[in-house]
Amino acid sequence: MGEISLMFFRKDCMGCHACEVACKQEHGLGVGPRLVRVIERAPVFTPIYCHHCAGAPCKEACPVEAIFRNGKGIVWIDPEVCIGCKACMEACPFGAMQFDDETETAVKCDLCQDRLEKNLGPACASVCPTGCIVWGDSKTLSEEAVARAMAL
Amino acid sequence: MGEVKKVRTVCRSCHGGCGVIAHVKDGKVIKVEGDPDSPISYGTLCSKGLAVTQLAYHPDRILHPMKKVEGTWERITWDEALDTIAGKFKKVINEYGPEYIVVGQGTGRDYESHLYRFANLLGTPNVLTAGHMCYVSRVASTLITCGNLPICDYRGNPKCIIMWGCNPQWSNPDEYKGVDFWKAYKKGARLICVDPREGFVAKKADLWLQLRPGTDAALAMGFHHVIIEEELYDKEFVDNYVHGWDAFKERVEEYPPERVEEITWVDRELIRKAARMYATTKPACIHWGVPTEQTINCADCTRIMTGLMAATGNLDAPGGNVLYVNPPTRTVAEFARHRDLSPQQRAKRLGGDQFKLGARVALINPKKAWDSILTGEPYRLKAGILCGTNPVITRANAREAYEALKRLEFLVVIDFFLTPTAELADIFLPAGTWLEQNHVADNWKRHGFVLARQKCVEVGEAWQDHKIFLELGKRMGQEWWDTVEDALDYLLEPTGLTWEEFKEKGYLRGEMVYRKYRERGFSTPTGKVELYSTVLEKWGYDPLPKYREIPESPVSRPDLAEKYPYILNAGLRTPTFFHSANRMIPWLREIRPDPIVEIHPDTAKKHGIREGDWVYIESPRGRIKERAKLNDGIDPRVVVAEHGWWYPEDKDPQHGWDVSNINILTDNAYETLDPAIGSTNLRVCLCTIYPCNEAS
Repeated sequence: MGEISLMFFRKDCMGCHACEVACKQEHGLGVGPRLVRVIERAPVFTPIYCHHCAGAPCKEACPVEAIFRNGKGIVWIDPEVCIGCKACMEACPFGAMQFDDETETAVKCDLCQDRLEKNLGPACASVCPTGCIVWGDSKTLSEEAVARAMAL
Repeated sequence: MGEVKKVRTVCRSCHGGCGVIAHVKDGKVIKVEGDPDSPISYGTLCSKGLAVTQLAYHPDRILHPMKKVEGTWERITWDEALDTIAGKFKKVINEYGPEYIVVGQGTGRDYESHLYRFANLLGTPNVLTAGHMCYVSRVASTLITCGNLPICDYRGNPKCIIMWGCNPQWSNPDEYKGVDFWKAYKKGARLICVDPREGFVAKKADLWLQLRPGTDAALAMGFHHVIIEEELYDKEFVDNYVHGWDAFKERVEEYPPERVEEITWVDRELIRKAARMYATTKPACIHWGVPTEQTINCADCTRIMTGLMAATGNLDAPGGNVLYVNPPTRTVAEFARHRDLSPQQRAKRLGGDQFKLGARVALINPKKAWDSILTGEPYRLKAGILCGTNPVITRANAREAYEALKRLEFLVVIDFFLTPTAELADIFLPAGTWLEQNHVADNWKRHGFVLARQKCVEVGEAWQDHKIFLELGKRMGQEWWDTVEDALDYLLEPTGLTWEEFKEKGYLRGEMVYRKYRERGFSTPTGKVELYSTVLEKWGYDPLPKYREIPESPVSRPDLAEKYPYILNAGLRTPTFFHSANRMIPWLREIRPDPIVEIHPDTAKKHGIREGDWVYIESPRGRIKERAKLNDGIDPRVVVAEHGWWYPEDKDPQHGWDVSNINILTDNAYETLDPAIGSTNLRVCLCTIYPCNEAS
């Protein structure tokens, strides 16, 4: 598999927020940072999530190089290095960068690296009742995106 | 540090059924995941289920029995608690009679078999449940019409689905969760949505019928009119298996689409189109929910919909609405020993003569209980035990409910937290969550499955509800078992499995047989689908279903509508909460911090209301406040409001029970109740709205 990516098919998101709680549980996060978030304007629901951008603006904006990209294309943040300046939050075009008041560092989606190692896929995707969250090889996902956009 | 043990169990954060794998470490559940092998949820899970660890280990959870001494809660032992309750109940029985004790539950935590057994062996016919306006009302109405509850057969590949006042993906459906619906839809089924509000299902639907809240029965009659007029019905089925078709046809003549449009606000051509789509796309099923039940039209609306299934030949047909065959466990009725309640005691059921269909399914209407306590008519209830229910939030005319429970001489509440209802009690008993429960889950349902919910942990001194009824029952001299698990062995006995063996298996599925009526007819007095009900006729009700105008609407009360110009559509469900539960769960409250009332932008503008403003919603019974959200997917004449709100973070014993509680506004007057089952109108009344800052 090449680079891994995560994609939400917005038209099938029904705003149940299960992904949000699964993510919080997986990452041990309390109230505050929401690595994935669904904005409700019924009947339209808009998931806000990290796209692990190719030229990641968060990474570019970080003054201390706390954000990096690994061989699988996952954009990570090292909380030990992060100085909590929030420049990455300003830079992220999707609003996906979050801040944890407890640790006073920025936090972000890591595509559930522990789960990926066990080939389980991200926690958010594992619980989604409509299957609107998919993960996998970036190129395959782009092709699937086109196919699903044309389908029901 | 110990190993992580994975326990396969079944969720009960709503009506249950979804498979869970709980990760247990050092005697604590540290995480839950969906169970990919679950036949109900296929590995998915919702926000409520996923947040169970924050419920089980919540700092405010009460983990030991308590008694109230001069207005203050004091910790006591289980022995003292149960001895006190048993002593009081025996005294009431000796001095007055068992009917002076009311036993109540909310939507339940799968303990209805145990609660009813306790009540029946106690000898009280006064069991107060949500069933008069939710699910049991559906079961009762279909029992007398076609012998069982017809459920969407999503696995049978329906080609057309009517989602009628129901959002199973968001809410807490009783039988199937939303996943099977979604699968059927994705396979290409046509979708018709009946809903006053444009939700996700409406967006996906081929046809969306935006009706006036509460007029579902009229709309369903309109469907019949089209189907009969255009001869789209299944003549073979109707001739052989329907009782009273001609009389029913005559009744249907009163509902031409033109008149139905006037009543329901749904365009007549759209009614015709939808009726045709449903009648001609085979197989087709109807999935309906509580909004059709929580009005004066409760039983009749269900009967009319059952009529649609019958008329189109979709009843018990693959992919239609089917009568599932359950695994052969002992039924709730048998376990609960309904037959042991003597005819003399049954005759004392509050409102039994008035709501005969309700009495048939062994429940009472809450207004009857409140009246008994407040007026002493026909006799004054002396004591009560309420399990997993918060009626001061969830029952209509909440102020009356609050007053009545406050005045009840002796009240026991079984729950996780000190809810506004629990605060009114004399004794509090701590219940176990579903992580702390051994049970044959879903045994009360009619969807063909039973599932093994197995205990993962024990938390504090909390007991699963079943154990509470078992131990209390034994103290009352009732026949029970030594342990909860012994009782489960009895429940499972006809399947040939013990609890231990069942636990290993995970679930059982009944062997489905379609079109059973061809062999043995329908389980009604005539053996047919009784669109003309011989049962209702015998009880003195109209044997044919009809639409009754909502007692408080712009049509029935134009005088009131001058001051209260909007239709309040109460009880909007949210995916994070289950009725009045979960407001204290941090992960869930973060998603939905405030109660929401949805208002059409034009209506909001008229009143100077902006998105996010706190607004008062006022009905003839009082006013409450919720936060405004603008939504152009509702009719400008309607406002749609969430239910179930109280504020656990408010440490005053009232916990803000009357600040945003929509049931301060709803009515429970007798003329607003369904005449047969006593269903309360929790859904529709008149209201006005204005910004909070405008108020004094």
